[in-house]
Amino acid sequence: MLAGIALVLAFMVALAAYLVTVVPGAWFPNATARSWKAADLTVATGTGVLDGNTLVVAAGTTPNTVVVSLNTDLRSSEFPAIAWDVQGVPDNAAVQMLWKSDIGGSRTNQIPVTVELGRLRPVVLVNHPAWLGRVQGIALAIRAPLSAPLRFEGVSADPMGAPQILAARLRDWLAFEPFSGASINTISGGVDGQDLPLPPLVALAVTLATLSLWGLHRMRPRFYACSVATTLAGLFAFAWFALDARWIANVAEETRSTLAQYGGKSTRDKHLAAEDGTLYAFVEKALTAMPAAPARIFVAADTPYSRGRAAYHLYPHNVWFDPTQGLLPRQDWLQAGDWLLVYQLRGIQYDAGKKLLRWDNGAPVSADLKLFESGAALFQIH
Amino acid sequence: MEFLLPIVAWVLVWAAGVALVAALPYPRGSFTAPGRIAWLVGTGYFVGAFLVTVWMRMLSLAGVPLGRGSVGMPLLMLAAAGAWRIRRRADPSFAIAWREAFDALRARHLDKAPRALWFAMLAWLALRSLPLFLEVATRPLYPWDAWMQWATKAHVWFELKAWVPFVSTNAWLAAKGALYTDAAPTYPSTVPLWQVWSSLALGRYDDVLMNLPWWIASVAFTIAIFGALRRLEFGPLAALVGTWVVVSLPLADVHVALAGYADLPMAAYFTLAALATLTWIRTRNLGDAILALLLASACPFIKTPGVVWVCTLLPAVIVALLPRRGIWIVATGLALGIVTLVVLAQSSPVILNYVLHLDFAPAWGALVESFFMLGNWNLLWYGVIGAAILAGPRLAWPSVAPLTMIIAAGVLFLAVVFTFTNAQIWVETQTTINRAVLHLAPLSAVWMLVAFRAWATRNDTAAAAT
Repeated sequence: MLAGIALVLAFMVALAAYLVTVVPGAWFPNATARSWKAADLTVATGTGVLDGNTLVVAAGTTPNTVVVSLNTDLRSSEFPAIAWDVQGVPDNAAVQMLWKSDIGGSRTNQIPVTVELGRLRPVVLVNHPAWLGRVQGIALAIRAPLSAPLRFEGVSADPMGAPQILAARLRDWLAFEPFSGASINTISGGVDGQDLPLPPLVALAVTLATLSLWGLHRMRPRFYACSVATTLAGLFAFAWFALDARWIANVAEETRSTLAQYGGKSTRDKHLAAEDGTLYAFVEKALTAMPAAPARIFVAADTPYSRGRAAYHLYPHNVWFDPTQGLLPRQDWLQAGDWLLVYQLRGIQYDAGKKLLRWDNGAPVSADLKLFESGAALFQIH
Repeated sequence: MEFLLPIVAWVLVWAAGVALVAALPYPRGSFTAPGRIAWLVGTGYFVGAFLVTVWMRMLSLAGVPLGRGSVGMPLLMLAAAGAWRIRRRADPSFAIAWREAFDALRARHLDKAPRALWFAMLAWLALRSLPLFLEVATRPLYPWDAWMQWATKAHVWFELKAWVPFVSTNAWLAAKGALYTDAAPTYPSTVPLWQVWSSLALGRYDDVLMNLPWWIASVAFTIAIFGALRRLEFGPLAALVGTWVVVSLPLADVHVALAGYADLPMAAYFTLAALATLTWIRTRNLGDAILALLLASACPFIKTPGVVWVCTLLPAVIVALLPRRGIWIVATGLALGIVTLVVLAQSSPVILNYVLHLDFAPAWGALVESFFMLGNWNLLWYGVIGAAILAGPRLAWPSVAPLTMIIAAGVLFLAVVFTFTNAQIWVETQTTINRAVLHLAPLSAVWMLVAFRAWATRNDTAAAAT
């Protein structure tokens, strides 16, 4: 019991030490956080569309610099931090936050923003000499070659008091972390890019509590009789359980989501309900157009994911695909009776009249178009 | 209730494995040792799961189609033959050990409070296993490499009812359709053959239910670890808590839920091979030696690095066989290895026209993040470092040294791969690093428990003396 209390106290002490280092101004400010949705944002440079609650700035249609702005009326002293909720920012992007205030006149101020794991760290402005007066407008400038769209979810201005920071850390730790393609390699343990991850804090708390109780045991053995080894083992197991319970709650939430997506469905319907359901549906049609006996088939698609998934669904046919570079087969590899499945890939030309297929500026190949849908086709080579 | 078919198929594999391990030449009366039955049951699954794939390979090489009968009947016969041999051996300790194992499961020998904790721990283990089962039984094959380079083979072998070779693009083109290819044609066949056996049991290729052996393996691994800790003389409750620590690594859970990779099987086989080797070092009986060899020989057939993982067991064997000089021989060998790496990092000698040079470029930040900041390992690496510091020279105690040597060799292997080769980019991107570390993580957790106990025993003894 005493050990449990000591662990909780040690955790709070460690948390308090963290707050001392990160609370920029008053610990208990009067202001409450303010937030703006994506619909409130304006794309000043670049092209963006509102998709539900997200402002999507597409990769291919934007110039190198994207500027998104927001009209505000903030008292700078009450809001020392601004958080931009943007996904898909390249790690090598140069990102600046810009603002104007009623004191600086027409002058535009700026501060660099740190990118971490595709997201932006909150911008802390408490000691910035230009973060003065009433802030009338803020903007975010992102300069980077964009291979994927930027997704702006919103902006928030935070008073950065101790309760707000604690609440933010709690949200970080307890946030649902759904399984993704990256989960097999790494687990964040809450949201990505946490300011204060939970494992080191818990480990520090275990150490502090053990040392305190060891001291107590040495000085007042009657008051606390457990040996240091028993204490450390017990606290470590308790801390392990706390992290394990958090993790299993996350897994249980994931399972609920999995059951909602796939529960009660046949294997075929599960595939249709999966992320690549459209691709699966096309491959299913392709399979009906192909002979039942395994045939040689080459797969070409724009992304490694599409190539790999199309190939996977096509087995046990005798599939070839390039998993990394996305190369098309060389023309001299093909033989009569071979098949070619193309999915979302530019640069393939088919002359239906002459039944000639051409790619990579190579010699045309004689082929029949067996199946065609928007962005997808199945050919049989003559 | 269709999912029962692959479960029955794998229970058959499990039973055959248990019967085979039980039939190994153990001394009479040896089954009553604490944890012996749990160890037998747990390792039996992994022996059976490896041998069924060996049998499937042999069937194919003999031209016999893979089917429920051709694969299942020999398993049934193996289980029966093992049972017959156990019965013929008439070792009374076998029956007594089973009775004692069930008594232990009911915690009959524990007092009220430890008993409550025992059942709470069992309930928690069962509870945390449930969502993993639901994930495996519901979600179609999901993770990248699983459908890019493992299940590709399973699908072909199931449909053709034969273990046909997968080859490189050039060989595939030359074969004019007679051979197959995928993203990793040289990868070992064991894991896809598991999926084939599940599919044979189902009667169709089903990329959901074919992955049930991953979940069953996690259950068997839990039982085996409990048995191993009991055999390492941990008390029942300490062994159960220790088992929970070893099997509750979040990244391992993900590899159960998102089944289809070979990393968790690799971790399980390597861990059990190491623990079986340690058991043989203590008992020196033929049965334990055969079990250790069976589990170790499976490693290279799970993943290619399995060859290196098996080599990391050698230091433990050397230390055991040469108790006086072994530890110095191994320590010198490891030190020489490190010095060689340092020299190669600082120079570029040319031998036989080959430039030997290694770039030492560890991604420290990413390593720290992966081991200590992210949610991959719970508190494992804090515990491992803490236990190592506390245990200090006790790590060289005869009871701890062999395991210490295996861990040291394993760490050296991972360090070489991730600091001296181009694999360091996988550290920076948090991709393969954690999967590679997963191979060593469960055994590291066992070592943490053993090292901590070495310190705690000494510490408590000293405290009692004062």
